[in-house]
Amino acid sequence: MKTVDIFGYSFSAIKLRKLRAALTILGVVIGIAAIVALLSITQGLQATITTQLQKGLSTNTLIVTPGQSALAQATSGSSGSGAGGQGFNLGGSRASSGFNLYVNYTQVIDALSPEIDGSFAVIERSGYVDADGINSSVTIYGVNFAQYAQQYSKTFVAASGTIPLNPTDNETVVGTLVNNPGQNSTLLFKAGDDVGIVWTNGTTLPVVNETYTAQVSAVLQKIGGFGVGGPSDSGVYIPLSQAESFFGTDQCSMIIVQLKSSNNATVTDVSEDITNYFGGQVSVISATAVLSLLSTVFGTIQLFLGGIAAISLLVAGIAIMNIMIVSLIERTREIGILKALGMKSRTVLNIFLGESVIIGVIGSFVGIALGWILANITAKLLASGAFGGNGFRVTPLLTPEVFLGALGFGIGVSVIFALYPAWRASKLKPVEALRYE
Amino acid sequence: MPTLVEAVNLTKTYMLGKVPVEALRGVNLKVEAGDFISILGPSGSGKSTMLNLIGALDKPTSGTLLIDGVDISKLNDNQLADLRRRIGFVFQFFNLIPRLTAKDNVELSMSIADMNRAERGKRASELLETVGLKDRVNHKPAELSGGQQQRVAIARALANNPKFLLLDEPTGNIDSKTANEILSLIKKLNVEHNVSIIMVTHDQHLAREAKRVVQMFDGQITSEVVNQE
Repeated sequence: MKTVDIFGYSFSAIKLRKLRAALTILGVVIGIAAIVALLSITQGLQATITTQLQKGLSTNTLIVTPGQSALAQATSGSSGSGAGGQGFNLGGSRASSGFNLYVNYTQVIDALSPEIDGSFAVIERSGYVDADGINSSVTIYGVNFAQYAQQYSKTFVAASGTIPLNPTDNETVVGTLVNNPGQNSTLLFKAGDDVGIVWTNGTTLPVVNETYTAQVSAVLQKIGGFGVGGPSDSGVYIPLSQAESFFGTDQCSMIIVQLKSSNNATVTDVSEDITNYFGGQVSVISATAVLSLLSTVFGTIQLFLGGIAAISLLVAGIAIMNIMIVSLIERTREIGILKALGMKSRTVLNIFLGESVIIGVIGSFVGIALGWILANITAKLLASGAFGGNGFRVTPLLTPEVFLGALGFGIGVSVIFALYPAWRASKLKPVEALRYE
Repeated sequence: MPTLVEAVNLTKTYMLGKVPVEALRGVNLKVEAGDFISILGPSGSGKSTMLNLIGALDKPTSGTLLIDGVDISKLNDNQLADLRRRIGFVFQFFNLIPRLTAKDNVELSMSIADMNRAERGKRASELLETVGLKDRVNHKPAELSGGQQQRVAIARALANNPKFLLLDEPTGNIDSKTANEILSLIKKLNVEHNVSIIMVTHDQHLAREAKRVVQMFDGQITSEVVNQE
C-alpha cells in the first residue's frame, strides 16, 4: 500500500472519533507547550544575561579580586576544594585569608607580562546619596574616569552632562537609577546639581557617617541588570584619589587588567601569571570563564525544567497507548476485513503508527505554537513587573534546536507508545479477527 | 481449463479450548476456471473451515491445497496476503468499512494492491455501475440497504480482477426478493463476464442455482451433483 494511501486511511480513522482524537492530541499539546515555553524563556534569559555580561566584560579583560572566589574555583577546575557548595558569586566571596589588593599593585601587574596593555584599580563601598534630604542606597566606586571610560566605552556613556576625563575631586558621575529610581519623569536631581555622598565608616568606634558634597557631572545611559565588573545603574562614580582619601584607604576591591589580545592562550597565560605572582591569593576572572560557567549553569537549568516538562509528555504517551489499545479492540473486525482483502501485517502496523504520527505532528505543532504564546505572555508579565521588581526584560528565544527537538520528541513519544498496540493489531489472525463481534 | 483450486486429502484440526476438533477429514476437491460451484452443508459440516482455507485466511493441518497453482501451506504470512488479493471475498455480513463511502470501499481493495489513485477511481465507478449502484456511489454503508451493501461488497471483491469470487452465505442476511436479485447478479457475472464462483451456503435452494453442488457433512464431501442446463 502506498504511503499516501496509508496516511489517508489512518486519517479517516482519526476523523471518525474526533473528540477522542482531540483529547489524545491535547495531551501531546500540553507536554510540548510546557517544554517549549520553559526552554524558550530560559534560553531568552540566558541570551539576555549573556549580552549584558558581554557589555560589562570585554573578552580582552581580566578582573583580579582578592581571595579565591567561588567562580574562580568553579571554572579553574584544578583546586577542587568544594567548589559546588559556594554557589555562583561573580564578585568573589572573599576568603578570609587576610590578603588585600592595593591600588599601587597595578604597577606590579603591568610589569608581569608584555601581553598586558594596562590595568587600573576600583575601590568599592556601599553608601548613600543625599539629594535634598532624600537618601538613596547606592554603591560608590572610586575609579580613574579616563581609563574607566576607555574600558567600558559602551556602558560608561553619559545620557546627560559630560563625563570629565580629568575630574576635580568633587565631581561625580551617577547611574540612571540613582537620580531616577522609579524610571519615570520624577528626577531626584539633574546633571549639574550638588548631592551629598555618604559612607558609613565602620572601621572606627563609634560608627561615623562620612560625607562630602559633590557636583554631578553626568548621568549615565541605562545599562541593564547585569553589569558585572563594569558600570551599574545604581553606581556612583568618584575619582580614585578622592575615594582613597574619603574612604581612608588605598586598599582596592578589584583591579581590571586590559590585555593586548583576547585569544584564549593569552587570557589563560596572563591569568596564571597573575595568580602565581600573588601566590594563589587572588582570583582572576575572565569573560570567557564567566560565559562558559553561565552556559553550564543554564544548561543544567534547562535540562531540569525540560525534564519536568518531558514527564507530562510521557503521561500523554501513556494516554495514546491506552486509547490505541481500546481502538484496536474496537476495530478487530475491521483489521480482519483488511487482511482478508490482502493487506499485509506490516501495512496494518503502519496504519496504526500512521495514526500516532498524525497525532504527534498535530500535537507538536499546536504545542510549539501554544508554548511560544505562553513564553511571550510570561515575558510580558515579567517586563511589566507582575512578578515583583522593576520589571525585567526577557525576549523568549525559540531556537531551531528547540523547535526541531520538540517536534521530534512529540512525534517520537507518540510513535513509541503506539508501537505495542500497532504490533498487536498487526499480529491479529484474519480468521479470528473476522469472527470477532 | 486451468485449475483454480485443487484440494487433496485436506484435513484441518483446531483446538476448541483444550478439545481438538477435526473440522476437515480428508477433503478432495477440484475447481476449474469458469466454474460456478456451491459447497452446501449444515453448520458444523466444515464448510466455513473450507471457506477459510480456500480464501487463504488459514492453513491446512495436512494434505495439500493448491490455489491458482500455489501450495498455500508453503507460504508465509506476506505471501498469503498477496495471494488473497487474487481472491474476491464476499461475506455474509458484507463487512464494508462503515466510515468509507461505497466508492471508497471499492477503492480500498485496489489501494491495498498498490493501484494508483486515478486508475482505481475510474475502475470503482465502472464496477459500481456493473453491480447496479451507479447512483449510490457516495453513500456510506449505513445509508444503503442490505442488498445494496452486498452489491458494494461484490464490486469490491471484483476490483482486483480476482481468479474467482468466494462467497460466504451471500444472501444469508437479506430478504428473499433482494436475494434473488443478488443471485441473478452472481449468475450474470459467471455467464457474461466469465467470473469463476465458489459459494458456501447452507441454503439448498440457493446452492442448487450453481452448476456444481458439493454436499459436505462431518468434515467430508459426501456427494456431488452437476446441474445440466
